[in-house]
Amino acid sequence: MQRFEFLGRFSRNRGALVGACLILVVALMAAFASVFFPTDPLRIVGMPELWPGEDPEFPLGTDSLGRDILSMIVHGARATLLIGLFASAVATLIGVSVGAAAGYFGGWVDEIGMRVAELFQTIPNLIFVLTIVVILGSTLTNIVIAIGIVSWTPIARMTRAEFLSLRDREFVQACRSMGMSDLRIIVSEILPNALPPVIVLSSLVVAGAILFESAVSFLGLGDPNVASWGRLVGDGRQLIRSSWYICAIPGIAIMITVLCLNLVGDGLNDALNPKLRDR
Amino acid sequence: MAGELASPTPALRGSARRTAALRLLRRRLIQAVPLMLGVVVINFCLIQMAPGSFLELMTAENQVSDPATVALLRKTYGLEDPVWMQLLKYIWALLHFDFGFSYRQNMPVIQAIWIHLPATILLMVSSITLAVSVGVAAGVVASMKVRTFWDSLVSVGAMFFYAAPSFWLGIMLIVLFSVKLGWLPVGGMMKIGGSGGALDILHHLILPTLALGLFYAAIYTRVMRSSMLEVAQADFVRTARAKGLSRNKVTIHHVLRNALLPVVTILGVQMGTVLAGSVVIESVFSWPGVGSLLFDSVSSRNYPVVLGIMVLGSLVVIAANIAVDLIYMWLDPRIEIR
Repeated sequence: MQRFEFLGRFSRNRGALVGACLILVVALMAAFASVFFPTDPLRIVGMPELWPGEDPEFPLGTDSLGRDILSMIVHGARATLLIGLFASAVATLIGVSVGAAAGYFGGWVDEIGMRVAELFQTIPNLIFVLTIVVILGSTLTNIVIAIGIVSWTPIARMTRAEFLSLRDREFVQACRSMGMSDLRIIVSEILPNALPPVIVLSSLVVAGAILFESAVSFLGLGDPNVASWGRLVGDGRQLIRSSWYICAIPGIAIMITVLCLNLVGDGLNDALNPKLRDR
Repeated sequence: MAGELASPTPALRGSARRTAALRLLRRRLIQAVPLMLGVVVINFCLIQMAPGSFLELMTAENQVSDPATVALLRKTYGLEDPVWMQLLKYIWALLHFDFGFSYRQNMPVIQAIWIHLPATILLMVSSITLAVSVGVAAGVVASMKVRTFWDSLVSVGAMFFYAAPSFWLGIMLIVLFSVKLGWLPVGGMMKIGGSGGALDILHHLILPTLALGLFYAAIYTRVMRSSMLEVAQADFVRTARAKGLSRNKVTIHHVLRNALLPVVTILGVQMGTVLAGSVVIESVFSWPGVGSLLFDSVSSRNYPVVLGIMVLGSLVVIAANIAVDLIYMWLDPRIEIR
């Protein structure tokens, strides 16, 4: 019953609904990339620099080497989405742990947690990511962890605020008087109640992570084995005088995906926090 | 006598605010010390985690074979000492602004960064100015014409620029304004061989500013719109209207000033992001700032410069945050900042 109510509220937000549908399309594209385009997307298949629509075989044209742009976009969707999701998962894990500990225990735990958050907010985020990646190596894992490390602070602050408002409620006091351990109270009692706004924030962190990854790849520091959308923009950069579409198309793909994730985040916010709806 | 005490003269109030500002400044500077220390420790941990030795890292590209230099570096950073002693020596070196030597630029790291800093600060200031003015204006328009065509137009625009990757936006701006229309230069900070007059620099500044600033303009638009709508509900606004002031007057003198506060808060939080964003934009537009230096150093694995930029970048963020706090105080005298 509650679930239907949630779906109803979510689908009343038209933007969020459109966003969710488009994200679904991108996700399906990513999942079935090798079904649509079974060959290696980085293989040379035609004439170089064919404009979109010039040859019906390559609806989005070919790049400077004669590789099919549509195939590269479809395959790149997988890398881009997975990096976004995993980086957001890392950020959520760190953020929820720090925020929950800070909000629940208070005192010096809170003080240290929030100081550390402040520290991570002080270091310019992309510079931090680039430094980590360049020193520890441009592997997919390092990039995902680096993006997670610079993205957790808002989640920690949100979780802390939720825990602060929940930790002295009656149901928590009841658990405490029953002799439940702190860890169990945090994980199975308070956390489920604190999650809705955190989920909203996590979905927005996915969008931010995709932008981070695209910037890192654009600068040529991405994993050399992964053709994400950011790298495609970077590859096409040399040819903006003759064939600017090579740059434009992957950028539009990034923009639409990020836009849809933001719309879904707004929709989730409306649906999960009905009190804030009329803002 | 009593009357005088109850209503201090404007000059007195001014000096009281100055001392309050000074007190805030001192407190913020003291708080900055542990933050900077944290940044340095993170830096040190990264160096320790890096594959290869500390010495290889600090001599960048391993071009140093002169035994005397190597011996000096060993002594400066105490490579035979235990880790905690190394950390102390590292902190000690940084306290003297000794960030190592960049063999690529053939000058101390601090000097290499210092030369590139003005260009980056110029880009940051112009982008933030653009972002705040466009964001505030668009937010005010949207909030005054709420739920009309103009409101939707502003929302759609904000959504677009909030989702567009800045480097991509920059390239598209180059395609349109430089390649197709030929109005603005493709990159650089001044004409090649030019004297670098203010107009010339301004001409080169337009596109990078747009590419970096529009993203933040989108954020401020959304914040400003909702903040204006919220303040407009406040009691003092109703009082002002009841006094018989016109709607425009109330909006400008009463709502706007109070609605600006959240924008200023976000501005402070995002200072680091703006600095980081300029890294990408500088590489797109070959803007000769710290970002270009970082990009060059990252590509050539010139670690001392990379680490130095991280420390100094954090310092710039802390300084900018203090500036924002002072602006905040000036905007809202009611607030005694923690």
